[in-house]
Amino acid sequence: MSDNLLEKANEILDKAQLAAAEFHQYNQEETDRIVEAVFKAGFKNRVKLAKMAQEETGMGIWEHKVIKNVLGTQLVYESIRNEKTVGVISSDPRTGITEIAQPLGPILAVIPVTNPTSTSMFKILICLKSRNPIIISAHRGAAKSCAETVRICYEAALEAGAPEDCIQMISSGSREFTQLIMGHPKIALILATGGTGLVKAAYSSGNPAIGVGPGNVPVFIDESADIPFAVKNIISSKTFDNGTICASEQAIVVMKTIEQKVRDEFEKQHCYFLDPEEIKKVEKIAIAEESMSMSPGIVGQPVAVIAQKAGIDVPDGTKILLAKLGGIGKEFPLSIEVLAPILAFYSADDYHTAVNMCIDLNYLGGIGHSACIYANDEKRIMEYAGLLNAGRILVNTPTSQGAVGYFYNLLAPSLTLGCGTGGKNITTENITAKNLINIQRVSRRKPNELWFSHDQSAYYDESLSTDDIMKEYYKNH
Amino acid sequence: MVNFNYNPENKTFTATFVGRMDTLAVEKMNEVMSVNIPLSEGKSKDKIIFDLRDVEYISSSFIRICVSIAKQAGQGQFSIVHCQPFVKKTFKISGLDDILNVT
Repeated sequence: MSDNLLEKANEILDKAQLAAAEFHQYNQEETDRIVEAVFKAGFKNRVKLAKMAQEETGMGIWEHKVIKNVLGTQLVYESIRNEKTVGVISSDPRTGITEIAQPLGPILAVIPVTNPTSTSMFKILICLKSRNPIIISAHRGAAKSCAETVRICYEAALEAGAPEDCIQMISSGSREFTQLIMGHPKIALILATGGTGLVKAAYSSGNPAIGVGPGNVPVFIDESADIPFAVKNIISSKTFDNGTICASEQAIVVMKTIEQKVRDEFEKQHCYFLDPEEIKKVEKIAIAEESMSMSPGIVGQPVAVIAQKAGIDVPDGTKILLAKLGGIGKEFPLSIEVLAPILAFYSADDYHTAVNMCIDLNYLGGIGHSACIYANDEKRIMEYAGLLNAGRILVNTPTSQGAVGYFYNLLAPSLTLGCGTGGKNITTENITAKNLINIQRVSRRKPNELWFSHDQSAYYDESLSTDDIMKEYYKNH
Repeated sequence: MVNFNYNPENKTFTATFVGRMDTLAVEKMNEVMSVNIPLSEGKSKDKIIFDLRDVEYISSSFIRICVSIAKQAGQGQFSIVHCQPFVKKTFKISGLDDILNVT
């Protein structure tokens, strides 16, 4: 490891630690003033930053990136503005417990190339709200737009009285440097959003991490669903920013009884079913054969570009390419996550087979992330939810806009979606400011009558049965 | 804001600060401090003490000045005394309490 890199990492973390020391002294009012100023600055620049991100990365649709920026600023701000994140945040005279919020310290925020400006602003807002300095680690493919986002937010924060160096940025041009920062002893938490390798690196760093990796979102359209409604919603979601949100639909599963109706509806709404030859051609350009992961070149691209790269002809105005596959797994490359308007399609003989397919898809690289069901049968909805390993089970909802919260439900607006232990995360929640505080619990003396009123010598008497001891313990005098 | 006192008997220079040591206050004090604090090239002959008994807030710029003066004064020649607990904790979080000899 080069001394230069180490020196550079130390310099960044020394600054961040000083900012943390200053920040912990801020009260709620001072903190909220900074958060409001940063929200306003980010929101004001939502269009400019969206265009920059699209131009720099070549991914997605700038108008959709504007909506993502609105999510990362306005909607996130709305959800956290009244949250208590400083000092006493709750006090319950019944339990005698008072909760006090403390900041964590410097947070390393790793930003994905797919949502660079929106994720940066989102992470900056939740870090500032919790009084934590943030170090943005930008993907090299989105370094310029992230740098501009950081500049705008940092200037607004300073103007509102924030500590110097409360927002810093590094470019992840060097993997060695990013890993050095990740493992640095002065990092309090890594907030990583990105691919499997990145998330694994975060968890292997030795520092606490909330790492959100890939999804592989199955969508089950039940016989009880409103099929035109389901198809319309799936299309609006999978085409949103050309499918760059990791919660976007990846595979459609239906029963044979409604397969034709669903196919007809997709075609009616300008989607195209690939034939077996075309599927092979799309597989070649969409999935890297050696790593069995999606090719960066097709991420966030529209159908026309994908079709051109694959050398296939599709009708003008085609919104999504669908590939009916005979199985799930590495032998069927399009069954893995692809962040582009391509969907796998499956037809099952019966309900149980259909749900089993969804489980297989869920476990093919997307454990803990999100799943979806279109149904009007509550029993099936709940059964499906209990069988899938997903932090979010979205019902009759477009998954891109549904999983990130606010638009279609009351989930916390977030661009970092917890995937539970299946995704090596500590939580399945949509990450927000409350996940970035240490909560101290002041516990006042409230002696437990049950404990102190029974004869504790019974615990030492092996001749007494469990039932005997329990009877004595729960005796209501 | 800051008062200076020199005790020739034990060659101790004490700067006593009052109030909030925020960025603005530190900027204003900078010149006064550089004129009054007896720092020579290399190690200072005098001990330098910062008394923070009446300080309720310290900014990162104040901590930076402490570090700069501690380095110029030389090892064992600089210390910070009488911190209120909240300020003491701030030095702890900065990770510089040992270097600055905070008590």
